Amino acid sequence: MTLEENPFGDLLQDYIVECLPLAEEVGHAFVELERRWRDGEPGDELLASVKGRLHTIKGNSAMMGLAPMRDVAHALEDACGFLGRAAARRGDEAAALLVSGGGLLVDLIGDASPETDGTAAKAFVEEVRRFLAAAPESSSAERDRRQTDRRGQPRIGEGDGAGNVVRVDFRRLDAMLELLGEGLIQHSGLTELYRRLQRRVGACPEMEELDQTVLSLQKTLTRLESTLMETRLLPVSTVFGRFPRLVRDVAHAEGKKVRLEVTGGETTLDKAVLDRLGEPLLHLLSNAVAHGLERPEDRAKAGKPPEGVLRLQAGAVSGRVAIRVSDDGRGLDADAIRARAESLGMDVRTADTAQLHNLVFVPGLSTAERVTTLSGRGMGLDVAASVIHGLGGTIDVESLPGRGTAFTLSLPVTLAIVRSLIVEVDRERYAVPLSHVAETVRAEPEAIRQINNQGVTQWRGDLIHVADGGAVLGTGGLSGAPRSYYVVMTAGARRRGLLVDRLIGHQDIVVKGLDPALGRPPVVSGTTILGDGRVACILDVVRILEGAGHVN
Amino acid sequence: MSTEGRAAVEPLLGFADTLPAAAPNASAPAPTLHLLTFTLDREEYGIPVTQVREVIRVNSITRVPQVPAHVRGVANLRGRILAVVEIRTRLGLTEGVVTPSSRIVVVEVRGRVLGLLVDRVSQVTKVPVDSVVPPPEEVVTAETDFLTGVARWDSRLIMLLELDKVLLLNG
Repeated sequence: MTLEENPFGDLLQDYIVECLPLAEEVGHAFVELERRWRDGEPGDELLASVKGRLHTIKGNSAMMGLAPMRDVAHALEDACGFLGRAAARRGDEAAALLVSGGGLLVDLIGDASPETDGTAAKAFVEEVRRFLAAAPESSSAERDRRQTDRRGQPRIGEGDGAGNVVRVDFRRLDAMLELLGEGLIQHSGLTELYRRLQRRVGACPEMEELDQTVLSLQKTLTRLESTLMETRLLPVSTVFGRFPRLVRDVAHAEGKKVRLEVTGGETTLDKAVLDRLGEPLLHLLSNAVAHGLERPEDRAKAGKPPEGVLRLQAGAVSGRVAIRVSDDGRGLDADAIRARAESLGMDVRTADTAQLHNLVFVPGLSTAERVTTLSGRGMGLDVAASVIHGLGGTIDVESLPGRGTAFTLSLPVTLAIVRSLIVEVDRERYAVPLSHVAETVRAEPEAIRQINNQGVTQWRGDLIHVADGGAVLGTGGLSGAPRSYYVVMTAGARRRGLLVDRLIGHQDIVVKGLDPALGRPPVVSGTTILGDGRVACILDVVRILEGAGHVN
Repeated sequence: MSTEGRAAVEPLLGFADTLPAAAPNASAPAPTLHLLTFTLDREEYGIPVTQVREVIRVNSITRVPQVPAHVRGVANLRGRILAVVEIRTRLGLTEGVVTPSSRIVVVEVRGRVLGLLVDRVSQVTKVPVDSVVPPPEEVVTAETDFLTGVARWDSRLIMLLELDKVLLLNG
């Protein structure tokens, strides 16, 4: 049942919004507890910290009539209370019980509906009952103490300024963005009209006033845009929340010891980007545990501590967000990749190590198929990379044998509105995201040389390849005249010039998707509507720089 | 309904919803198909009117690099991006030229909204189911199985198209 069909949809949505982060924090704490107990630490404050959250979840679930969630939260509360007293029972068995319950709670709440299946919840409650029954103690005095424990737990979300916070369905923000987008399109239409009018009427006080009005409208729209964008931002920790349990589960299944270190969880991204980021990150992490990190005995042989370290770091870097997944494992095996590539008929004789490493993103070359069958998770490194590219991001891999592997993602903060350079090639207009534009240069015919039938020019002291826009975009020089400009496009360390006929100007464009009927054209990442109502394609700079397109 | 007629109707999956509910009753008025017809070159084609959302004039169609051959491009449908299919090349005709009579027929098939670029829209019409015969075997191949029948009616030949297959939505 979808939420739309559910009369309790809004309430249920509120319930999920409030309880899911709590459940994720609880799950997170359980994974951490398991690690601490293994290290012989008591972890009392962690046990205490989850109880307030569990209590809130239990109360909210009961209010919504969601018995499975209520019962699981209740059972976990009991188990935590018991473990708080019975320090002797703390250990792997107890931790496994808590972690599985925490995971169950997250799953139940995430998919909450009045029809939620209670079978798993019943089984878990029974499991907790057996665990507690195996214990010798439970007196009324302790139950009293438990009651006192519960008071004094601050409820999450009751911090400063909570009274000024309103919960808004994200779809409303999307609708507002659509409207803002239309406003931006209308504004550029108005600007266009102003220019035409000015040519016809010439200078006069009214034209000047119109100019000022159009200008202040632009300022207002820009401010509206940045305010709206801010409301759409969420900390990446909302996605990172489910990773500790995942990493733990994969590590268990693989017989590995792994410590996950998460930093930069407060870095913010547009929810639309975040929503699509979970799967690829999940894949990178489980891949790192399954293939990157070695078994404890192999690590010992290599002179490393038995526990592998997996780092998930996020941070803002020059207007974009960088996310890095790194491990201190065995590193990529360049020789194995070379052998695999050759068996697939690829010519890798001249490839250097870095190029070989980047082949892990090629379909069929990633070892991801094994992860999928092994842990039932993951999507394939090639698919992960294409999701990142689809978000307008880049993904790079570095690796040192025996030292580890690091995947670095660079992502735009938002997908919705992208400041772009509008160019014209063979009478079609295209948008190039400004974040990928280094410079626009007038194309002097003598400055562009042909080497091996490829255009090459000097740019800032380097030789760069200059491709013909018509060749890349498949329109092949309809006009026959030489192009007037080239746009130097960059993505990561790559750069290339693209010859175009005209530069139209800068514009904030509202990104619209590609219809599935269009397939997945390699050089286009989306579409937008320009001021005159025409549709323009948004160039996928990352993939063009990777060589997509008709390069002759 | 004769067995011959039934044989002709059965392949008309996409048209089934245009049949009156009481169709099997022999005493009821002859069942009809409710069609929107359009022309490509000189031939007339029909699609179920229930799948048509609207017909719009062609303003500008933006080419999209490296898309399947039957995709003409994208157009602005009141702020929404509409993929426009070059139905002519799907039917084995040469790529069309946009003229003042060209139209985009906006269809909804399996929940997806797409535009069909056609040379001219003729009319919305009803044809009796009995007038539909299966297409001649020689002209139907694996590639042209979107042709589900031919309506011979009112001295016209209307070729009935199965949009799912024309638009490759089932593959």
